[in-house]
Amino acid sequence: MTPRMTIDQEIRREALKAVTRRQLFRRCGTGMGAIALTSLLNEDLFAAAAGARTEPAAEPLAPKPPHFAPRAKNIIYLHMAGAPSQLDLFDHKPKLNEFNGQPIPESFTKGERFAFIKGTPKVLGSPYKFAPYGCGGTMLSELLPRLATVVDEIAVIRSMHTDQFNHAPAQLFVHTGSQLQGRPSMGSWVTYGLGTQNRDLPGFVVLLSGPNNPDGGTALWGSGFLPSVYQGTQFRSQGEPVLFVSNPKGISADVRRDSLEAIRDLNARHLACCGDPEITTRIEQYELAYRMQTTVPELTEISREPAEVHQMYGTQPGRVSFSNNCLLARRLVERGVRFVQLYDWGWDHHGAAMDNDIVHGLPQKCREVDQACTALLTDLKQRGLLAETLVIWGGEFGRTPMNEARNGSPFLGRDHHPHAFSIWMAGGGIKGGITLGATDELGYQAVEDPVHVHDLQATILACIGLEHTKLTYRFQGREFRLTDVFGNVVTKLLA
Amino acid sequence: MRSRSRFLRSFALIAVPAGLVSWLVPVWLIAQAKDVGPPARAMTVKHWAYVRPLLPALPPVKDKAWCRNPIDSFVLARLQKEGMHPSIEADRATLIRRVNLDLIGLPPTVEEAMDFVNDSSPNAYEKVVDRLLANPHYGERQAIRWLDLARYADSNGYEKDRLRSMWPYRDWVINAFNADMPFDQFTIEQIAGDLLPNATLEQKIATGFNRNTMLNEEGGVDPEEYRYYVLVDRVNTTATVWLGTSLGCCQCHNHKFDPLTQVDYYRFLAYFNSTAEETSKRGGTDPVDISPRVTVDTPQLAAIRKRVSELRQTLDRPTPKLEQAQVQWEQSERTAAWTVLDIIRSAPRPAGVPGRIAAILAISADQRDEKQKRELAAYYRSIAPALEPVRQQVALIRTRIDAYPKTSLVMQELPHPRATHVHTRGGFLTPAEQVTPGTPAVLSTSNDSPSDENRFPTRLDLAKWLVSIDNPLTARVTVNRVWEECFGRGIVATSEDFGTQGERPVNQQLLDFLACQFMNPSTGARPWRIKSIIRLIVTSATYRQSSNVTPQLLEKDPYNRLLARGPRFRLPAELIRDQALAASGLLSEKMGGPSVFPIQPEGIWHSPYSSEKWPTSNGGDRYRRGIYTFHRRSAPYPAFMAFDKTTQEAVCTRRSRTDTPLQALTTLNDPAFIQPAAALARRIMQQGGDGTQNRADLAFRAVLVRSPDPIERDRMVALHDQMLRKYEAKPKEAEKLAISGLSVPPKELSIPDLAAWTVVSNVLLNLDETLTKP
Repeated sequence: MTPRMTIDQEIRREALKAVTRRQLFRRCGTGMGAIALTSLLNEDLFAAAAGARTEPAAEPLAPKPPHFAPRAKNIIYLHMAGAPSQLDLFDHKPKLNEFNGQPIPESFTKGERFAFIKGTPKVLGSPYKFAPYGCGGTMLSELLPRLATVVDEIAVIRSMHTDQFNHAPAQLFVHTGSQLQGRPSMGSWVTYGLGTQNRDLPGFVVLLSGPNNPDGGTALWGSGFLPSVYQGTQFRSQGEPVLFVSNPKGISADVRRDSLEAIRDLNARHLACCGDPEITTRIEQYELAYRMQTTVPELTEISREPAEVHQMYGTQPGRVSFSNNCLLARRLVERGVRFVQLYDWGWDHHGAAMDNDIVHGLPQKCREVDQACTALLTDLKQRGLLAETLVIWGGEFGRTPMNEARNGSPFLGRDHHPHAFSIWMAGGGIKGGITLGATDELGYQAVEDPVHVHDLQATILACIGLEHTKLTYRFQGREFRLTDVFGNVVTKLLA
Repeated sequence: MRSRSRFLRSFALIAVPAGLVSWLVPVWLIAQAKDVGPPARAMTVKHWAYVRPLLPALPPVKDKAWCRNPIDSFVLARLQKEGMHPSIEADRATLIRRVNLDLIGLPPTVEEAMDFVNDSSPNAYEKVVDRLLANPHYGERQAIRWLDLARYADSNGYEKDRLRSMWPYRDWVINAFNADMPFDQFTIEQIAGDLLPNATLEQKIATGFNRNTMLNEEGGVDPEEYRYYVLVDRVNTTATVWLGTSLGCCQCHNHKFDPLTQVDYYRFLAYFNSTAEETSKRGGTDPVDISPRVTVDTPQLAAIRKRVSELRQTLDRPTPKLEQAQVQWEQSERTAAWTVLDIIRSAPRPAGVPGRIAAILAISADQRDEKQKRELAAYYRSIAPALEPVRQQVALIRTRIDAYPKTSLVMQELPHPRATHVHTRGGFLTPAEQVTPGTPAVLSTSNDSPSDENRFPTRLDLAKWLVSIDNPLTARVTVNRVWEECFGRGIVATSEDFGTQGERPVNQQLLDFLACQFMNPSTGARPWRIKSIIRLIVTSATYRQSSNVTPQLLEKDPYNRLLARGPRFRLPAELIRDQALAASGLLSEKMGGPSVFPIQPEGIWHSPYSSEKWPTSNGGDRYRRGIYTFHRRSAPYPAFMAFDKTTQEAVCTRRSRTDTPLQALTTLNDPAFIQPAAALARRIMQQGGDGTQNRADLAFRAVLVRSPDPIERDRMVALHDQMLRKYEAKPKEAEKLAISGLSVPPKELSIPDLAAWTVVSNVLLNLDETLTKP
C-alpha cells in the first residue's frame, strides 16, 4: 500500500510529528480529572428511555430494581420447537379414542385454516395411556414417566392458545409477542428491565439442541429495537461456546494479559487528552471481556460435574444434546444468568413419514427430554435454586385432534393447531401440582380458563417482578411492550 | 383471533394520558367504517414538521470571524444564547481522519495525511473534501446507511431464509451516490422506477428498494396473508424513510397523537397494492417464490461466457489428430454393427449412435457427400475421448453460470389494480370499506391528485408527491439524516419520528436552512444534491471543531446537542473492519458484484430446511469492504452483529451504539481482525524503517493517522520489546501468530519480531480511539 519512504518523505514526516506534538499539548489540557465524570452519565435506564431516549445508558446491563417484589430471580425457558402433541402428553381426551377414524364434525372445522390438512379430516385417538400422578392427580401420558415423579412441582396449563399456526411466526409470537420479525424477545425485555447480576457473563443466554436451529431463527433471541446489548448470546454447542472467547493461535493467556494492559494504558492516556467518558466504559468492557475468557470456558466445561449428576441428567460431555443444555442451564442460573433460553428442535410430528409420526418420532423425542427436564427440576430443588428459578416447558402451538394423513400417509400424525395446547411451568412463584384450564371434549378449543400467549408472557414477567404494562420502550413514535396491548397475569398459577 | 371486547378491554391497559381517552375512544369506534379525516382533536396550530420549511434569515452573531458558512451562524447563535463558546479547530491529522471516515469510510494513507498537514494553501481542507467527494469509495460509505433503511439483505428471511440475488440493487445505490443522483430522482426511481416511461434496466433495479422485504416460504403459510404483511412493511418503511413518520400505528387505529387516520394508512397502502404476487402455492403446500426479477450482466459473466465460446471453438475445430481418431472409431463402430447385423439381420444400426449418424456410417467413406462428412465429423467430435476434458470444462462453467447470482428483484405493476380495503384493527382477515390510493390528508395540498381525474393514482404519483416542494417532511428528514451521520445525532434526535411524539429539533432554523438549501440552493447549484449538503456540513467550522471535552462542557451538554465541540462517536460495524483492512494493506478495493464471503467461524449458517454452507471466498474477495459481505438474515456476519448492525428484517432507521465485552472479544480474537494485525506487522517491518521507535510510529500512524506522543510511543516500544522476548523463547507460538492464516512471510523478516509487532498491531486495532471517529 505504502512504498518505502524517501528522504523527502522522512523530512515531511518529521514536520508532521512536530505539528501533532504541538497539537498534543493543547489536546491534553483537560487532564485526568475527566475520568471522574463518568458518573455524570450514569443515568437511570428508565429515565433514559422515557426522556432522553436517544441517548445510550452508560451502564445498560447494571442491575435495576424490579417493579415489585419478584417471585423468581431467573428464568429457564425450555422451548420444544415444532410443537409437541398435547393430546398425546398432557391433555387426556378419551373421546378421541372413542371416535377414532371418524370424520370430525364440520361444526369444529368450519371456516378453519389449516397448514397442511385438506378435505375432511378424521379424528385421531391417542395411542398412549394416561394416568393421574402426584398429590394433585395431574394427568400425564406414559411417554413422560420421569416427569411423573416430580409432577407436584409443576403446573400444567391445558388451555393455552395462540394466534399463529406456522412455526416461524408462532415461535416469534411466543418469544417476542408478534408474529413478525423485528420485536425484542422476552429475554431481551427481561435484561432490559432488570439488568444482569453477573457482569462476567451475558445476562441472556441461548442454548440450542436438535438437528436444526429453531424455525424462527436468531430473531427469537434478538433485541429488536432495543439496544443490541440486550440480545441473547448464543452459547454454541460446537467450537467456542461464545464466539471469539478464545485467544487466537499464538496468543497465550499471559500475552493477552500484557496486551490488555497496553490497551488500558493507551486508552487511559487518550482519555486524559480528550476527556470523553465513553473511553472509561470501553476500558471496563475490555476488563469484562478478559474475565469472560476465563469464566465462559469454566462454565461450559461440564465434564467436571460428579458422575451422579451426569447419571441424573443423562449427559455426555462433548455431545450436543438437550440433556447437556439442561445441565448448562443449571450452571448458568447458579452463576446469576438472568434468562436461559433452550430450544430443542424436532417436535413437528405430522406423520408424513415414520420419523415424524406420533408412534415412533414422538416417543423418541420424549425419551430425549423426559429425563433431562426431570433432572433439571430435581437438581435445582436440591440446590435450593428452584424457588428462585422459573422453569417453563412448551411449544409454539398445539396439534390437531385429527390425523393429518398428508398425501394419504399411512403414519399417524397431527397438523398445526393454534386453538389449544399444553405447557407446564415450575419453580419461582408457580403453584406446583395443579392443572389449569380445560379443552372441549375433542381437545379442539380451550374452553376453561383460556390462557393466551400474551397472558403467559404477562405472567412470566410478573413472576420475575415486572409489570408487563410498564415494561415499555419508545420506538418510532409509540411505546412498545412484550404483550403489545394485550395480556393478563394468570393469578391462578401463582403461589 | 381476538374478540373485539377483549381487544377493547385490553386497550384500557395502555398508559394513555387520561385527557386523551375522551376523544380517543369515539374516534376509534368509528374509524373502521368512515373516512373520518384527522382525529377530532382541536389542531389549532399545525405541528412544526407539517408546515413547509421557509428559508430562515441568518441570526446575528458576535464572533463573525469564526463562521465559515451559514451553518455556523445558526450553531453559534444557539451557543451564544446558552453563554457557550465553540471549541478550537481540530488538529489536521484528526480532521483528515474524521472527514475521511465520514466521506469514504476509510482512513487516509500516511502520505495523504502528510500532504494535508504540509499543505499551507488556504483551501487545503476544501481540496481534501472535494477529492473525497469524487472518490468512488464515497458511494460505498453513504450506501451503508441507505441499505439499512432499505432493509437490504441477501436472503429471503423467515424459516427457510433462502439466499437471494439482490446485489444489483446494492450496486445501484452505490452508483447513485457516486453520481450524486438528485434525491428527487433517487426517490422516484426507487419507489416507482418501473412505472417511468420506457423504464431502463437500472430504473427497474432501483425499485428493489421495496423488494428487499422478506419472503415467507414456510410450508403451510398463506401467501395472501404474507403478501399483506409485505405491503404493511412497504408502507411503514416508505413513510419512515421519507416522511420520518410512523404510519405504523394507523395500521390498527387512528394515530393516537399525530393527525393521521387509519384511512390515511390504507390509502397509502393502496399505492403498493397492485404489484405482482411474489409467492404462490401453485396447488402444493409450500409457497414458491415467483417474484418478478430482472437479469443483469457483469464483466465477470461476460468473461465466463467468452471462455465458454472459446472452448466451444475448440470443440468445433477439426484437427488431423481428431480425423485420425475418427477413422479408428468408424472402424470399431462398423465392426460392432456387423456383429449386431449378424445376430439380428433386421437391425443394422450400431449401438448408441443416432439413426442419422448410423445411416451415414453405413455408407462407405468414399461414397459420402460433403454434408454427410461434416455431420459425421461433428458428431464424432461431440463424443471424442480426446475432447472429453474440454466438454467437462464447458459443463462445469455452465453450472457456474447457472449458480452465479445475476438477477435482482423488482416491482412489477399488475395490468389492473387490486381493490384495497381498510383492515379493522389491522387484521389480515378483517377487511372493511374500500379505499383508493391517496396521501395523508394532513400533509397534502389540493393539487396532489393526478391532473387527469379519471386516472387511477399509482406509485409514480406517490413518488412524485414525496419529493414535491410542497411536502414539508422529505427534505427535512433527509438532511437531518445526513447531519446525524456527521455528528452522531440528528438536529431532530429521533430521526425516524418527526411527529408530535418525536423530539423537537434542537435548532429548527438550522434544520430548515439545510432543508431549503437542499430543495432550492441559494448558490444556484442543482437542487436535491446530497453531495452539496455534505460539503456544506463538513466544511463548516462547526464540523471542524476539536472533539476534546472539558468537565465543564461535559456537565453543561453531555450529549453535545448544542455542538460546542466536534463529533466523537464509535464507528459503524462495517467501517471498523474496513479501517483495519485498509491500515494493514489487506483491503481489496474492488467494487460491486455479487456479495462475498470473508472468513467467519464454522457453524454460523445452520438453519432448518437449508443445507447452504458459507462458501468462504478466495483471495482478495476475503478482504473486500464490509458492504459487500453476504448478509443472511437468520445468520448475519457475526463481527458486524457484535457492533450493532441489525438483521435487516425490518427498516433500521438508526443503529444503536453499544459498548459490550462481545465487541472487545471480536476485535481482539476474530480472524477478521487478527489477520489485519499480522499483515500490519509485516508492513511495519518492511516500511517502518529501522529501529523500534520508527516502526512504532508508522504502526500508530497507519491506524490512527496522528503521530503518537512520547508516552504512547514508549508504551508501544515497551510492549514490543516485552513480546519479542516472549516470542523468541517460543518460536512455534511466534510462527502461528505471525502467519495467522496469511501467506508465509518473506524470509528476511524475523518471525518473533513479526509476532511481537502483530501483538502491537492487535493492541492498536483495539484502542478506543481506533474504534471511534475522532
